[in-house]
Amino acid sequence: MIFRILKNDLKRKKTMNVILFLFIILATMFVSSGINNVATIMNGTDYYLDKANIGDFIIITMGDNAVGSLDEMLKQETAIKDYRKECVVFGAQDNITTEDGSSVKCKNSTIYQSIKTSVINFFDRENKKITNIDPGHVYVSGEFMKENGFKEGDIICFEHSGLKMSFILDGTAKDALLGSEFMGNTRFILNDKDMQKLFKNEVIYDHYRGEICYIDTDDLQAMKSAMTNVSNVAFDGTRSTIKMCYVMDMILAFIVLILSVCLIVVSFVVLKFSITFTIMEEFREIGVMKAIGLSNMKIRSLYIIKYLTLAVIGSAIGFLASIPFGHLLLDSASKKMVLGNDNAIFMNLLGSVLVVCVIVLFAYLCTNKVKKSSPVDAIRNGQTGERYRNKSVLRIHQCPANNAFFMALNDILSHPKRFMSIMLSFGICTLFVLIMVNTTATMKSPNLISTLGKESHLYVTDVADVMNYMNTGSKEGMKKQLEKMANELEADGMPAELCIELQYKYPMTFNGNKYVLSCQQGLNTRMTDYMYTDGVIPQNEYEVAITPQISEITGAKIGDTITIHYGEKDVDCMVTAYFQTMNLLGEVIRLHEDAPTDFRNISTAMSYQIDFTDNPSQEEIETRKEKIKKLYNNDKVMNATEYCIDCTGVVDALESIQILLLGITLIVVVLVTILMERSFIANEKSQIAILKAIGFKDSMIMKWHVYRFGLVAFIAVAIAAILSVPMTDFCITPIFAMMGATDIQYNIDPLQILLLYPSIVLIMTVFVAWMTSIYTKTIKSSDATNVE
Amino acid sequence: MTAVLEVKDLCKTYVINKRQNNVLKNVNFSIENGEMVAIMGPSGSGKSTLLYAVSGMDSVTSGKVMFNNKDITKLKSNELAELRLNEMGFIFQQMYMMKNLTILDNVILPAIESKKTSESKKEKINRGEELMRKLGIIEVADNDINEVSGGQLQRACICRSMINKPKVLFADEPTGALNRAASHEVMEELIKLNEEGTTIMMVTHDAKVAAKCSRVLYIVDGNIKGEYKSPLDVQEKDRERILNNWLMELGW
Repeated sequence: MIFRILKNDLKRKKTMNVILFLFIILATMFVSSGINNVATIMNGTDYYLDKANIGDFIIITMGDNAVGSLDEMLKQETAIKDYRKECVVFGAQDNITTEDGSSVKCKNSTIYQSIKTSVINFFDRENKKITNIDPGHVYVSGEFMKENGFKEGDIICFEHSGLKMSFILDGTAKDALLGSEFMGNTRFILNDKDMQKLFKNEVIYDHYRGEICYIDTDDLQAMKSAMTNVSNVAFDGTRSTIKMCYVMDMILAFIVLILSVCLIVVSFVVLKFSITFTIMEEFREIGVMKAIGLSNMKIRSLYIIKYLTLAVIGSAIGFLASIPFGHLLLDSASKKMVLGNDNAIFMNLLGSVLVVCVIVLFAYLCTNKVKKSSPVDAIRNGQTGERYRNKSVLRIHQCPANNAFFMALNDILSHPKRFMSIMLSFGICTLFVLIMVNTTATMKSPNLISTLGKESHLYVTDVADVMNYMNTGSKEGMKKQLEKMANELEADGMPAELCIELQYKYPMTFNGNKYVLSCQQGLNTRMTDYMYTDGVIPQNEYEVAITPQISEITGAKIGDTITIHYGEKDVDCMVTAYFQTMNLLGEVIRLHEDAPTDFRNISTAMSYQIDFTDNPSQEEIETRKEKIKKLYNNDKVMNATEYCIDCTGVVDALESIQILLLGITLIVVVLVTILMERSFIANEKSQIAILKAIGFKDSMIMKWHVYRFGLVAFIAVAIAAILSVPMTDFCITPIFAMMGATDIQYNIDPLQILLLYPSIVLIMTVFVAWMTSIYTKTIKSSDATNVE
Repeated sequence: MTAVLEVKDLCKTYVINKRQNNVLKNVNFSIENGEMVAIMGPSGSGKSTLLYAVSGMDSVTSGKVMFNNKDITKLKSNELAELRLNEMGFIFQQMYMMKNLTILDNVILPAIESKKTSESKKEKINRGEELMRKLGIIEVADNDINEVSGGQLQRACICRSMINKPKVLFADEPTGALNRAASHEVMEELIKLNEEGTTIMMVTHDAKVAAKCSRVLYIVDGNIKGEYKSPLDVQEKDRERILNNWLMELGW
């Protein structure tokens, strides 16, 4: 009997059942893919680094005498459980050209290595391990192919220290060590035969050879201390440092995670509404069943079986749809990483089962009223008559607008709970879009420049030139180079001062503990050129500023004295200030310009910074930028904003996530609007018919429906716009803090936040509500008599 | 007297499960200005279909419906809506109203929508209150629709139907869902409106209600089988008896 009632119910209330069924499919799709994404992202970097076999401690040595002291340390250090080592060759951007001789862009120095001798795993675009590369072919890490517009099969030419070769590009390799934005070196992975050709070149072998060593250890502190005995270290860091280098990629992944959670919340809110709404419609029938003597449990089980049937079928379809949908979301976040988990299908299945359970639970809770109400109450659609507050909130005379607007506003005020679910869905999605817009706008602004270094008019990145000085030059040589460039610019009518930020690796001691830390010192800069968050600006070489990250690592605070070992000279330096920087994720000490640094300990040099002395206008700066590009035949001449974008390197990805987020928001808006409005129309059929019968035109009825959704969307986007500023600070500042910057001035564009994006959501809502409201035309005035 | 409503060769056919069902077959009649006409007939005879067809709420298969000398079968849906809003009033057996509005707001809703007069919103609200006072339901003006009795709700529906001062009031079994006392109250109001000059066309099953009308059309199988004119010079009780006799002759 129950199944016969169920079958008839499914048939008779087709519209509402179809709407609910679609909601279940969507909810399952969102929840299943969301749970899988959450699990995947939470294990994201660990999963990737494990798959790549990175180890616990990584050392990169480069240049003359790079090989030797490392081997000695590896032999002697007892904390090392195991280690893997690979030989590489270092190069620069100008070693590579296109087939027709045009220059290409590479990030930082380039590294060449054989796939055969590689001790870590590289992955292709499909996340498959790269095991073989043919002679004359190459895989490249990072954004090299994308940035230079290369396709698979394109040819690049290589020339290094007189050795000329050409390679066919096989594709992009996911490189766990160097593929992140913060490491950002371009690694070319070659066949072993090609690599041997490089090693046979004497200049390359003597001056550009290096080693990358991956160490398994449990004692990281011992490793850090042991590093004081290794020379020519370009980089040394722990697994957690490498993980932190993926912070930008993880931001994207976490945005996908937040988005997934948001979709899960939206799904459940909408599901709860739909089930409550459909069961409310059933109350008259429930009353009849109670009146003829069916037990409460039987009546409830009837509805629970109905929703269970819909849930099981809907979840099965939703489960299938969740797999490609989840991949779509993850793909946008994992261009540089291999994200995944070994239980993906199980996670999706778990999500589907969860949706079924939640639906049954909702159905059980919603039918609770069956138990409480008498047959007559139920027949009266659940109204007991004991109501002391009028349902109608607004009166016509209080509303200056037309009937359609009045009715829409009155509906919202009379049933705030019903519309709250729509508002929540629209509001949450819009809020995330706006947070992304604020983040992207900040990343695309010069607001972050103080966290990267001194603010200048222009930045010239010439890795080859800088590397040359790093390997063979001196501080004096670099100073002369800056002077030479300043003279060249002046001769070209662009009087300027030039400076450069240099990073050194120096051992230091505090409280008896030894550390090897990065120290940043400007050449031709003053300490007053930088921003400090606390304390007094260092006045001489015996004073330094540190970041909160360094303070956390060493325990040193303002007023403490640390000992920096500058080669033969040890200098006691007082910490006088804190500053924030995103360089090396904030693990940096700022040295006074007089500190006795030496190029033998240099690890990185940043860009040449140009400060024009004749106060040019912004337009003039842009003109000069183009002139300098031609003058030095270098495309990497940037203003402050472009430099920030180049350094953080995630603006493109953030923008694509922003578009994806907007797209998903619009999809949610479209689906929720269509499904909710169709539910309302089905519920209000008699009222629509009666309005038509008493002479209301179709257009007025459509306006009533459109205003309702328009108003709800307007309130939702307005609240989202207002909340977007504090929420950006709340959600994004901790992410910047992970990168080393705690005090961020967000770039809020009122036009985008208050007008552009809210309008897009609003216009889409109004358009879809209008399209859906056309359905009301099918309801005839004579239907007033046919409705139950 | 002039005919406010003239129906010529009206046919209405439904196709259900590929079977043609001729509900109205060449119906002809007219209603004079100020008349109160009842449509009677057995269930399924086409009474309500006739009411909806002549009021423009439902389409017709063929024939003409002249309302104030205008063929409403030729009007577009917006023109028909305009006509229903300003020139016609409707009362249904079930007291359908907008669920989220108070009784008064339901009553004045068509007046606010109408551009027939240049009255202000306040004047329209006053008119609605006046109508409700006249029909004795002013005390429930601010109540929700489920906080009043069936009789009060039907009187509110009458107020709504009268708010734009229609030429013709169409009523589909207006007392069908009411008890005897409420039914009597509603009919009294309709008679008063008719006496004030409103033309009324009403579908009813109740001979007692029909006896209060000046004319009764008896419809069977989509055809008008007989027409009864109420004698004006007899008492109400006798009028009901005479009508019952006439109906029995027709097989009621």
